Amino acid sequence: MDTKTLIKDAKARFSHNSAKAYLKEKYSSKLVIAEQGGLWRADAQTIGFLNSFSDETLVVIDTFDNPVKVNRIELLESLTKTYTKIMTEWNSEWKELERKR
Amino acid sequence: MERTRKKKIAKRGALLFAFNSSKYNYADMAVYTARRIEAFLGIPTTLVTDVDSLKTILPDLKTFDKIIDIVPDKSNIKEQTAWINKGRYQAYELSPYEETLLIDVDYLVNSDTLLKTFDLSDTFCCHSNTHMLMHPEASQEKMSAYSYDTLWATVIMFKKSERAKQIFETLEMVQNNYEHYANLHSFVGGVYRNDYGLTIALKIVNGHTDVPSDYIPWNLVHVGKNTSVYADSSDIQIPCDGSLFDFNTEFTIMFDHWKKSKVRKEYMSIKDMDFHVMNKDLFVGIMNG
Repeated sequence: MDTKTLIKDAKARFSHNSAKAYLKEKYSSKLVIAEQGGLWRADAQTIGFLNSFSDETLVVIDTFDNPVKVNRIELLESLTKTYTKIMTEWNSEWKELERKR
Repeated sequence: MERTRKKKIAKRGALLFAFNSSKYNYADMAVYTARRIEAFLGIPTTLVTDVDSLKTILPDLKTFDKIIDIVPDKSNIKEQTAWINKGRYQAYELSPYEETLLIDVDYLVNSDTLLKTFDLSDTFCCHSNTHMLMHPEASQEKMSAYSYDTLWATVIMFKKSERAKQIFETLEMVQNNYEHYANLHSFVGGVYRNDYGLTIALKIVNGHTDVPSDYIPWNLVHVGKNTSVYADSSDIQIPCDGSLFDFNTEFTIMFDHWKKSKVRKEYMSIKDMDFHVMNKDLFVGIMNG
């Protein structure tokens, strides 16, 4: 039996909350990157923090709470690239999910 | 630095432990998981098993990079049958790789996410948090009300190092004195659980503190109780080469939501995400299409 028939026969309801939580789980792991000797989350907070400085090098606390000296521009570029790619994918899958409403 | 990394990559691999029980063919599950590891992670797999289990997968032996045959410890009894999960501490000595992913055979690799674990630590890392599909508000499991949150032995990355060696040696010590630690941490002993063994061992090695880099910074995703998982399509064996597969990556998760003695079925679809299937029958169902 294919899954579509299974869902129909079971009169199952699509769970938007669970699906939303699943998407967060899935894409959160993809936002984590290792670079310049530290582990970083490509999130708005980290990108915003890096953007607020003008120094070439900066000491930043990484995901593991280690103070890591980084080339700010290179890390910013890398995190921005990851953020844009992953968030675009997340948005696209979320839109698909919303269509099921 | 770059040269060292390239050298290490060539020595990466996965390690699976599989010993058949009277109810399940774990060796068969290992074959399936090794194929998925090859397809999604692109690394070889070594199987640790026993002669009896090996006999059941003779046509599939070439799936593995290496097969290590050991005499299993059958002293762990669960639901009146031997549950051969002891001896996981041997992973460090048995692994032929510099950098190893030790994975449970019922973990469904469905993306390349696990490759990131090699960048997380120079020694060891495992999952400290879980996410239950269809049950996102589920609390984290504790060994007991008075003890630590459980760490998970489902996926472990370790690199040959003094520290990783020490962790596995401590795991052996904990396994050998499991009843003592069960008393100390107020959980029910009897049936040995690798998750509990690992939790205790890692805490001992770290002086009962937390070392953030020991924990994989995303959650271990489980398909848990009252939840079923079905593959949306079958895996396809690529005809030109019998050892290659085009694996299905989309699954339907169904949950029995009980309210006022009535059950309401809920579902969602997932794709390209790894998950751990607690119910072995469901894993076998996915394997067999």
